[in-house]
Amino acid sequence: MRLLGRWELMVWRRKLPSASVREMRIEAAPASGLDDLQVRLNLWSNLWAQDSESTSRSEAQQLVAERLSRWLERCFGQHVQNSLRGNQSHISLASSTPIFTAFLGRRATRELSRRVLQDI
Amino acid sequence: MPRQVRWIWILLAFHLALGLVAFGHFLATGQYVVLGWYFWALGSLFFLVMTSTEFCLAMICRSWFDSDEPMRLAWGMIACAALARLAGVVLRAVSDGHLPWGNWHQLSQPFGGLFANLGQLGLVVGGPLSMAFLAIGLGRVLVIQRKFHLAGYLTRGDKALLFLVLAFSISQLAINLPLLWNHPSLGTMLLWLSDPLLSLLLIEAILVRRSVIRMGQGLVAKCWGMFVLAIVITSAGDAAIWASSHGLLSEQMTAISWYIWFLAAAAFASAPAYQFAAISLTREDSVHSPAMR
Repeated sequence: MRLLGRWELMVWRRKLPSASVREMRIEAAPASGLDDLQVRLNLWSNLWAQDSESTSRSEAQQLVAERLSRWLERCFGQHVQNSLRGNQSHISLASSTPIFTAFLGRRATRELSRRVLQDI
Repeated sequence: MPRQVRWIWILLAFHLALGLVAFGHFLATGQYVVLGWYFWALGSLFFLVMTSTEFCLAMICRSWFDSDEPMRLAWGMIACAALARLAGVVLRAVSDGHLPWGNWHQLSQPFGGLFANLGQLGLVVGGPLSMAFLAIGLGRVLVIQRKFHLAGYLTRGDKALLFLVLAFSISQLAINLPLLWNHPSLGTMLLWLSDPLLSLLLIEAILVRRSVIRMGQGLVAKCWGMFVLAIVITSAGDAAIWASSHGLLSEQMTAISWYIWFLAAAAFASAPAYQFAAISLTREDSVHSPAMR
């Protein structure tokens, strides 16, 4: 009983103050804002994963790949890229993030990604 | 070379330089006075500094991983191995009365039962227990490396070395098992596990080395390479003890073989220092400086 009481207390504590659904007012976003968001999302998805079928790469993608290669070389070594590439011809954030996360940790990888995407 | 690693090896070089002076005195006079003092005072201090450094750095590396990340356990085990080595050094120093503060000789008297004396407890904690922790940690690392296809294939040389190591372990066990009839203490029996555990560590070291070769010369690769070096040096030290106990080494060679353990301690401390350097690199701006681009 005592344990159950504690559990209820924890649940009660975890409740976050939230507005009821009736009180919420959803306003339509301006079209320009949505376009801007779409552009940003497209840019992000292009940077995240290099399409293996497309051969042309933007300057930003090239810069990200170069920076990632440099980081991989400094952290792991010059040969590690061959193991990561697999079917892909270029290194991308999607292909390199798992190994960085595994060996450096999530927080260090977040810092690293921030530096890779700096000024892009 | 990262700053921490550089300091570790500078300290080792300085320590070995002093050790050479002591060894020169031993060669010139044939007396163990200076050599004994060197290992007694400076040697114990060096081990304390190295194992403390290794433990602190391993704990910092561990703290960079979240609780659900597999490497947190690996670094936790490596930190435990370092702590066990540190405790082993302290226990042996206390047992031998090597500490400058207080009179600890009463504690070194046989306290019967599980361990023959405090020194044996130190040997067990700093030996088999530490090796067991390290074996679990490296095993975890190998699993992660395999996941990323970094595990390489064993060459004929690797297989030959593995065969030799296993044969040595089995022969040592065959020698020790009949001694069970003499009712040895638990400490003695635990010390028999040293060779099989060292063999396991060597096997892991060979596998880790293959993956390091597949990576290259990066900081993380060097971190695991340092563990391989430390384990190989430990094995060499173990082999030297075996050879010395069988009268295969001269007095001078036996004295030289004692210096091996300083190299092993420095290599063990360098491993987390490399990992720490790799993590620290993500917080520095040097990578994107114009010179690097």
